[in-house]
Amino acid sequence: MNYIYDGTFDGFLTCVYEHYHSAKADGIFARGVYQADMLTPPREVRTDEGKARTVEAAIVKKISPHALARVYRVFRTDTDGKELMLLSYIRLCFKSGPAMAFLHSHPLVNPVEKAELKIGNEVHRLCGLIRFSAVCPAPAGGAGHGGEGHGGTVDSGAEAVAAQMREILYARVEPDHEVLEFLAPHFTDRFKSEPFIIHDTRRGRALVAWHRRWHIEDFTERDAALLENAPSERGYRDMWRRYFDAIAIKERKNPRCQRNFMPARYWQNLTEMQPR
Amino acid sequence: MDSGTMEKLAVLGEGAKYDVSCSSSGADRSNIGRIGSAACAGICHSWAADGRCISLLKVLLSNDCVYDCKYCVNRRTAGVARRSFEPRELAALTIEFYRRNYIEGLFLSSAVLVSPDHTAERMYECLWLLREEHGFAGYIHAKVIPGTSPELLHRIGLVSDRLSVNVELPSETSLAALAPQKKPQGIFGPMRQITETQLEHRTLSAPGLMGKLDSAFAAGVTGGRGAPIPAAFEQAGGGRRTGAGEPDDDFGIAIRQGGYPDRRRTYKERFAPAGQTTQMIIGASSESDLHIIRTSEALYRRFSMKRVYFSAYIPVASAPELPDMAMPPPLKREHRLYQADWLLRFYGFRADEILSAEEPDLDYDLDPKVVWALRHLEEFPIEVNKASLEELLRIPGVGNVSAKRIISQRRTAAVRYDDLKKIGVVLKRARYFLTCSGRYYGEGELEPCYIRDRMKGMEGLADPSRPVPILDRARIRSGLVGAGPEQVSMFDALSGRQGGL
Repeated sequence: MNYIYDGTFDGFLTCVYEHYHSAKADGIFARGVYQADMLTPPREVRTDEGKARTVEAAIVKKISPHALARVYRVFRTDTDGKELMLLSYIRLCFKSGPAMAFLHSHPLVNPVEKAELKIGNEVHRLCGLIRFSAVCPAPAGGAGHGGEGHGGTVDSGAEAVAAQMREILYARVEPDHEVLEFLAPHFTDRFKSEPFIIHDTRRGRALVAWHRRWHIEDFTERDAALLENAPSERGYRDMWRRYFDAIAIKERKNPRCQRNFMPARYWQNLTEMQPR
Repeated sequence: MDSGTMEKLAVLGEGAKYDVSCSSSGADRSNIGRIGSAACAGICHSWAADGRCISLLKVLLSNDCVYDCKYCVNRRTAGVARRSFEPRELAALTIEFYRRNYIEGLFLSSAVLVSPDHTAERMYECLWLLREEHGFAGYIHAKVIPGTSPELLHRIGLVSDRLSVNVELPSETSLAALAPQKKPQGIFGPMRQITETQLEHRTLSAPGLMGKLDSAFAAGVTGGRGAPIPAAFEQAGGGRRTGAGEPDDDFGIAIRQGGYPDRRRTYKERFAPAGQTTQMIIGASSESDLHIIRTSEALYRRFSMKRVYFSAYIPVASAPELPDMAMPPPLKREHRLYQADWLLRFYGFRADEILSAEEPDLDYDLDPKVVWALRHLEEFPIEVNKASLEELLRIPGVGNVSAKRIISQRRTAAVRYDDLKKIGVVLKRARYFLTCSGRYYGEGELEPCYIRDRMKGMEGLADPSRPVPILDRARIRSGLVGAGPEQVSMFDALSGRQGGL
């Protein structure tokens, strides 16, 4: 029987519960992804928090807390058929014990390990590849005075400090996986005294944080349009590009190596990779 | 932001590009200031057109040098534009770059402006401003100018995560020939001070050579036979300074009089928690690879370095002592040396195992681990289901991660040949050197010539984008004082356990 659920983690865990307590699941699909199959009518699974908690507790107890974290991370990846993959993994570990997690080459464990590695790598990579811009909320109605001019001064005079206080850091990303919440601990600690927004343009969601508190909310291009670059932003971008060009040793030019470390799909949001 | 800053950044970034190290690893710290943190594994923020990562804002404070080292772009006689950052200007720029997540921190180096102490004072002022005025808790790597006084070095160490003193060249002979104003004691003195202060502060977290903390090594670090650490730097390290004040024009005087507070008053003072590194230029002088690897092993053992970096020499000047201007940088050689360096640090090899007096140079066609294995076929094949971690690490194509995975899987089930690939073993190399549950998969004989030929075919040697430099030409041209490679002296400070210092 095919299950259809609402795409949430609790919904998925409810499916795991139902797999054990009612009909066996042959496929689990998020609503919207499922394509109707004439022969077997699918079953709509209503997310039940109580059932989800039961499954969670069982994973922690019968496998390990680490396994629950792994299941959650893999659930946040953009992998085809991740639900069924995770269900098989959970079943295997329930049946054969937590040691199965160490069978790196087992056909049911290996893909889970790989998916986990992928999202972990992307989170780590984005910790470096995210580029913030200092922005200000656009003045309501009034015409903003563009990004030109070098308004900021190096001296941390009172005026500059006040200007900085009004600034928000805004970053656009287009990650392969749903990484926002995994980025939160790193950036909220690092920029604890600055408000910042990391906008996942692919999913229309954003991590909004200030003073070590954060949440994830829907965020559209229209929301983003309400922000305009701070006066000093342009100058720092130019300087960064100039520095980026200066630091490369021409005799050692190696574009393939550069591309290996910094895949081209991230370039559109990288200040230094924009055409000069 | 005045337009001059842009110009300075371009010139001083350009001047710093030959410094190899850019890593931001080794320090783990949450945000104890107002902005910034450090991640133990380090974070790369970008990759330049040469494929090298950009993690730290790597700049010189000044490129206005009084020295005349022959291999250096900033030597006094070179016709380059001279610029200097104001410490305050650079600190503010660092913060602005950091806020935008361009960088992980600051790598501050400098040419010798007026004198080593004058330069170090300005560097310290910049770092102090970052830490104290901006509340910066991110990563700082400071380059130590040879000849800096111990007091200043100590202060810089307290605001930095990592320190490095460049050994510059692999032997005393070439240092004297190419950088006559840099003296070995000016280089090894600070190195020794850093290691000893770290021991005092208990921040010497891990030996450079992992897993090889034998007694001889420990004796080497502490200066012999469990002797207490010399209190030579007591006057610098002891006694917390108190008082407060803003940096002013008499900044240098104020430091010497102990006028400014150390940073992080509420935290335990930590001296360079990410340790020290160094770098040497490869291919500007005539040393053999054996000599270079021995030197770096000695540096790891004696000073507990985190890394010894190699920098393929890129001709920037024409001088009779230097290789030809047309010589391409010896990138292949640098690559093989790094592989050998990895064997030293992560695989439990000794320098004398990798190379010997009969074969003093690395093979550019095959990686040093394969070469070692081919010379020691009597130890192979190794049975993956029985071998210890150390033995597994000796198999070409098996790395640290795959060796540990093999061991963790063995606890549950035997490792089959088909599993090895999924575990991450590089079978095209490993298959000749292992057995799986008693079976050998290497097709054919366990015979050096056969394996060698098979592997050479796979390494893609004919890749035209990475030219193999003609090293012999460099050697002959640079032929330092007619000495054969084996007569080049090791640094006194490194040759004997007690020698030199």
